[in-house]
Amino acid sequence: MTLFKQIALLLSLFLLIILATVLALNFKSANKSVQERLYEDAKNTASSLSLSLGSANGDISMMSTMINANFDSGTYSYISLKDIDDALVYERRSESTIADVPEWFLDIVNIEAPFASAQVSAGWNPIGILYVQSDDTYAYNQLYTILKDLLISFSILAASGLIILNLLLHTILKPLKRVQLQAEALIRNEFITQDKIPYTKEFKDVVIGMNSMVSKVKTMFDKGNEELKKQKELDYIDQTTKLKNRKYLVHKLPEYLKIDASSKGGINMMIAFSGVVEANTKLGHQNVDKLFVEMANIFKAYASNYKNSIVARMNGTEFIILLPDCSDIDGLELAHGIHDSVKNIFTEYGLDTKKTFISIGLYEYNYMQRIGELLSLTDYALAQAKFSSENIHLDKADEVLEVMGKEAWRKTINKALELNRFSFTSWTAIDIKKKKIAHNVLSISMKSDDDIVYSYGQFMAPANQAGLSSAIYSNIINSMFKIPDMRLAGSTSSLRLSYEYLDQRDTYDELFSLFKEYASKLPFKLIIEVPDKLMRQNSKQIKLYKALFEKYNIEMGVFEFIGESQDYQYLQDLRPVYIQGESSYFLSLSEQSLSALRLITDTLDISLIAGGVMDMQTLGKLKEKDITIIQGKATEMVEL
Amino acid sequence: MLKMILLIFLFVNYAHADKPYVDDKLLNKITKKYKLFAKKRFLSLQNILDINKNSQDTEKLEAVNDFFNEVRYSSDIKLYKKNDYWATPWEFLGKDKGDCEDYVISKYFALLYLGMDSKKLFFTYVRSTKFKAPHMVLTYFKTPRSEPLILDNNNRKIFPASKRKDLLPIYNFNGDSLYKASKTGTGKKLKQIKSHKKWDELKFNMKRKKI
Repeated sequence: MTLFKQIALLLSLFLLIILATVLALNFKSANKSVQERLYEDAKNTASSLSLSLGSANGDISMMSTMINANFDSGTYSYISLKDIDDALVYERRSESTIADVPEWFLDIVNIEAPFASAQVSAGWNPIGILYVQSDDTYAYNQLYTILKDLLISFSILAASGLIILNLLLHTILKPLKRVQLQAEALIRNEFITQDKIPYTKEFKDVVIGMNSMVSKVKTMFDKGNEELKKQKELDYIDQTTKLKNRKYLVHKLPEYLKIDASSKGGINMMIAFSGVVEANTKLGHQNVDKLFVEMANIFKAYASNYKNSIVARMNGTEFIILLPDCSDIDGLELAHGIHDSVKNIFTEYGLDTKKTFISIGLYEYNYMQRIGELLSLTDYALAQAKFSSENIHLDKADEVLEVMGKEAWRKTINKALELNRFSFTSWTAIDIKKKKIAHNVLSISMKSDDDIVYSYGQFMAPANQAGLSSAIYSNIINSMFKIPDMRLAGSTSSLRLSYEYLDQRDTYDELFSLFKEYASKLPFKLIIEVPDKLMRQNSKQIKLYKALFEKYNIEMGVFEFIGESQDYQYLQDLRPVYIQGESSYFLSLSEQSLSALRLITDTLDISLIAGGVMDMQTLGKLKEKDITIIQGKATEMVEL
Repeated sequence: MLKMILLIFLFVNYAHADKPYVDDKLLNKITKKYKLFAKKRFLSLQNILDINKNSQDTEKLEAVNDFFNEVRYSSDIKLYKKNDYWATPWEFLGKDKGDCEDYVISKYFALLYLGMDSKKLFFTYVRSTKFKAPHMVLTYFKTPRSEPLILDNNNRKIFPASKRKDLLPIYNFNGDSLYKASKTGTGKKLKQIKSHKKWDELKFNMKRKKI
């Protein structure tokens, strides 16, 4: 029960008790006053009537007439005259008729009209005593009216009192509500500073304390953010040309060389600068650097037509341009264009183009290749280019051996979608420090008509080519919520969703209606992994997803993190539970970069997960860097 | 057993007989407030009461009437700054002044102390034809129907009512009788035990020993 409710309950009870007591006392006092009034009336009548009776000189008929006249004209229930020997001389008695008063009132309120008496004399001698009792009908009616009035006025008082009490409590405890919201925000790693400092001392101290804490944590975050941004510049940017460097390319290539990559292949172009010594001699280092900058601009201009292209300086004289979805013909045309443009600049700089020139090796890669393979084959193409007359050479990758043809895949996947033949297989993310499973990682598998089970790695590439990957995600996520796998009950499981699927226009609405109906029935805790590429945009769209997930108690994770963002504010805004990056990324991070990243993630309570950990040696190195949650083959070797 | 009851009876009688009209504690207070002469007046009253303890009613009436008629008359407005005030016997004799009601009250309680039946005594509102003013006297009825004796502070001697042509009786009143009547008159047990406003006020003042 909240403090507000407790205080409100207590004060309301207190108020009602006070009002009830005052009401009871008021009624009691009214009751007493009415009874006293009854006596006073009777006493006045007794005194005046006894004096009148004295003038009758003991004539009983006269005295009876006087008594009758008084009795009939007033409200009396009893008048009697007794002589000095206490013998009854005359009496009048009436039965009370109680009007307009309910039975319960008569039962509760007992009015006893008092008797008043006065001596009656004839001359010097007393001749008897007169007894008078007023009628209590009037008193009952009067008291009942008083009670009704009291109840109405006290009900109004109680209602107004309770409303005022409620308003007062709300006003007094308003700062507490803000303190509570601030505390709750802190728990969610949101850093809210309260500008309105409460007047109440206790609340004031708490708010100032929390503001100070928030400010410190914010400073830590900002420091980490700045440091990481600085390190990113040093780690990934070539300082002369401002192009990306080799490290960046190596970290970025996995995104292009994976089964569910959005591009199935393209051209990787390696450009080598020959005659740098001559150029340096002729132009000087500074001018050569300028020349490199101009070259970089040419590379960037030519690559800019290709979405997701990368231009990187590999070393002093070599550059790479990665052009996804670029054909061999286009690649060759582009290479010639670059070659000619650079040659023109060399001429402008007065360099001998026979001694100073560039060679371009082109390699037509596909998504199935590994990074090392891609780089060495491109390097080989460059070596060929250096010896060719045009200084341009194109090599192609071997044709990929597919399990089945494109059309056969399309048919199989469509059939599986139709019959809901997608299911989950899961592996684990292990916390090697705590020696326990951090969470389950769900992977999609597909069963064909002939009961062959295809893994994600097998069917996702052809599904991508056939434009069916989003349909698969939609199918599997619907199954997950509508027919949840009870084997996962009580666990925490993550599901990775692709950039393409999340970026689709209808996905948000689909997830919204699905969560609305089924999220509360999901028997396990779900973490949806979102690619860093989407997260770091910190767009309205991703914020909508965050709000949607938060509403239905679904956590958010980040995958494919290589720390290439311009700003890490998005981590604070979106507060993922973990960041997953390749183990190679974490291992290549400098001490400064890692500690800056740690500063951010520790501040926001974000875990770091290293993926693709294949052996114990890598695991050991990660452990040294205090990266303790891992995914990959090595998890099978860890004893829990 | 019989002896025991007799002894208790004798002891109670003895104890009652020795109980003074004004106890020592009250007398000390009166002395403190009204000085030594007041104390002497009370001691003198006690002496007269003690002498007449076993006398006939007429002797008791004479003694009490004579003693209190020595007190000087003074109006309530002068003494108590009130139009009408019924003083306790201690205030009356302490101040040694009072109006007609105060004489009646003091005589009434002194006679009760001497063992007179309260039913025989009445506060009687009268009109003095001589002074053409309202007045109060104490009336004594030997029997309920006999002619009353008038104890008056204006006419110091006790006369039967028929000899007091200067007084016109208006109303008889006996607080103790009315109180008893109120309690028992209808057979019902009453919460209210008031009988007469002035009488109730006087009884209250006497209860709290107002001096």
